[in-house]
Amino acid sequence: MSASLFPLATGRPPAGVDLLRIVRINEQIKRVVGVSFKINIMALNAIFLAKRAGTAARGFGVLSNELRVFSQDLRTCMESLTRLIHACVNEVSVVLQNNRQMRLLGKAAELAPRQPALIAVRQRRSRADEEHAQQLGRLRRQLKRALEDAFQMVELGGVLAKSAKIEAAYGQSHAAALSQVSGEFDEVVEEIRAALESLRRSPFFAGS
Amino acid sequence: MKTTKTIFQDGGHKWVAIVRDPEKPNYLIDTNEYLVAYGDQGLLLDPGGAEIFPAVFSALSAEFDPSALAGIFASHQDPDTVSSLALWLEFNPAMRCYVSWLWSGFIPHFGGTAETLVAIPDEGMDIALAGLILKAVPAHYLHSSGNFHLYDKVAKILFSGDVGAALLPPGQDGLFVENFDAHIRHAEAFHKRWMGSNEAKRRWCERVAHLDIDMLCPQHGAIYRGADVQRFINWFDEIQVGGVVNA
Repeated sequence: MSASLFPLATGRPPAGVDLLRIVRINEQIKRVVGVSFKINIMALNAIFLAKRAGTAARGFGVLSNELRVFSQDLRTCMESLTRLIHACVNEVSVVLQNNRQMRLLGKAAELAPRQPALIAVRQRRSRADEEHAQQLGRLRRQLKRALEDAFQMVELGGVLAKSAKIEAAYGQSHAAALSQVSGEFDEVVEEIRAALESLRRSPFFAGS
Repeated sequence: MKTTKTIFQDGGHKWVAIVRDPEKPNYLIDTNEYLVAYGDQGLLLDPGGAEIFPAVFSALSAEFDPSALAGIFASHQDPDTVSSLALWLEFNPAMRCYVSWLWSGFIPHFGGTAETLVAIPDEGMDIALAGLILKAVPAHYLHSSGNFHLYDKVAKILFSGDVGAALLPPGQDGLFVENFDAHIRHAEAFHKRWMGSNEAKRRWCERVAHLDIDMLCPQHGAIYRGADVQRFINWFDEIQVGGVVNA
């Protein structure tokens, strides 16, 4: 385990720990992207099913189309989360590299305590380190906001899925098939909600 | 901490060896760094890996202002040679790193930019240090495919990178070779495995045999001086290198 995984005196989470947390967030995002793609396919099938059911499933067809739009919006939202995650990885990587170099410069300062050039370099590096920490803080907050937006979107998706369940009941002879599809919508949206809930609880967002 | 030994001095023209750190962890190979100082400029040869930067920096700074370094000469691309580059550049971002053109796209992974690197062509080049002309002498495939040594014809010193290197046991790690026959045993396995080509070795031996050399300074081990320089060249000329490894 590298030294950077241990807590630092700055009160910030160590960069190595942050990197592991980001990796876990990214895995969850990939899972959500995969599921939202599944909704898109399901919604397309539901639209065809509603067309076959005719007038009785008109409401169901409208909702299926809305779910398809929801799936596309969710994917766009997840793409912006992925971009933010990449930016976080970049910043944390720089911080990790800086930590190593600061450690080596610190050791050099212990061995050569009266080197003004070394003092200047360490001060410059400390300032740069602080700037990177602030930038990481900004990205952390942006990511949290983007995650909240995604969560709101999924709340709407949940309403659409539940409405589709109600509409399915009016599907007359197609009610059973429509009910099965709407039930699957509901399950998938719940799966996304659970993934986003766990992302919201990530200790990565507890950092400054 | 490493110690510095001035191995040549003529007025403001100086060669300083930065060697032997008793606190160095055993898992890191021991390296020699050299400073060529001339006037108010300095060139650091194979400045070493990032992990030994503190020891090299502190030893060097006792002799020379690190922010006045004009450049770094990297005999080749290995991490023990130049992975400390980014740290040295902190002191003078205008510093140049001289290295084979072959590695000019690789070395920036350690630090620096396209401007930092001065690519040495295969045939070698002159490097000017405040009026002193140093020659980058080709030593390709010994042990890197793009490899250079540095010759100072005024000081009569050849910095020979990994050629002449020896992995010395504790207690037998003096700065200079005192007993060639005893010393060369510690160099044999290293040369047979790490040098890639008998043809390249032969050409190098012919090339350096024509140079006037008082001291041959490797990156690892002890410095050959006086008659031991020619003794080493003859020994190297005769051994077979780059054999096939049974794996």
